Amino acid sequence: MTLDTVLDGTAAIFMVVGGLMSLAAGIGLVRFPDLHSRMHAATKPQVLGLLMLVLSAAIMWRSWSWVAIALLAWGLMILTAPVSAHVVGRAGYRTKHMRADLLADDELATAVDRLSRQRGVRREVKDD
Amino acid sequence: MTLLDYSYWITQFLLALGVLCAVYRVYKGPSVLDRVISVDVILIIVGSVMLVEMAYNGSTDYILFVVVTAVIGFLGAVAIARYVAVRQPDSEDRVRRAEEQATAITGEPAPEPEIPGSAWGSGAYPHGGTLLEDESTSWFAALARSGFVPKRNKHDDVSEPRTDNTPDDPEDGSGPQPGSGGTHDS
Repeated sequence: MTLDTVLDGTAAIFMVVGGLMSLAAGIGLVRFPDLHSRMHAATKPQVLGLLMLVLSAAIMWRSWSWVAIALLAWGLMILTAPVSAHVVGRAGYRTKHMRADLLADDELATAVDRLSRQRGVRREVKDD
Repeated sequence: MTLLDYSYWITQFLLALGVLCAVYRVYKGPSVLDRVISVDVILIIVGSVMLVEMAYNGSTDYILFVVVTAVIGFLGAVAIARYVAVRQPDSEDRVRRAEEQATAITGEPAPEPEIPGSAWGSGAYPHGGTLLEDESTSWFAALARSGFVPKRNKHDDVSEPRTDNTPDDPEDGSGPQPGSGGTHDS
């Protein structure tokens, strides 16, 4: 059992785990009831799945210079994934694309309610 | 076949299943935001397929695509989410009514509602806010709703009552008395 075999086996396991993350995202997208739980499922291949596949490719390359670039791709994904998740989640919350009866606790509702009653804070435009 | 061959094909199969599930959600998704996150997942799985291919072949051909995807992949989701947040609520009502009429005609079972049933009730907003919540555009919506028309100069001021009173404001529309424009001149 040489080092090459061990590295290939590690890469193979990482590869399959990355694929399982994508499958989990797909099943979650189909099965989950509302937008925010679907978003929870959709972030699985963005972070852990991509990390697993990047590590698998880096192990198979056996080269440190490409490891840096692959990890750069993963780091950029880590930086940009919260931006889209934040904006989509905010829009979904404000436009009621969610099932409030599934929430155990809605802390944001009380915070938004308290802030909208204060003066000096940006007033929401009344719709009447 | 070595272990790597098996894992390669298994992984490609799993990624294909994930893409199929995401495509189903894009087709079925009741709202735009569901479709946006599904398209995001599809994009990332395409990058994952390229990474698996690179790991299997030992090549580095597609690494630039993965980097570029990580950099600009979030722009579409941000743009569409901002578009959704400033949408008018009555247009949603109109869309829902049109969908109900369509299902009444075709006789198909009712689809999954775009906005699921809420414990807050149908029309109540818990924070007193509206759908027009974006601070960068809410001033424009308020201005458009107030019916304000800016005065241009004294030359246009004579014809101002006629253009000011659009038919959506009946009590102002009944009062374009002659001479009301003249008060602005003096």
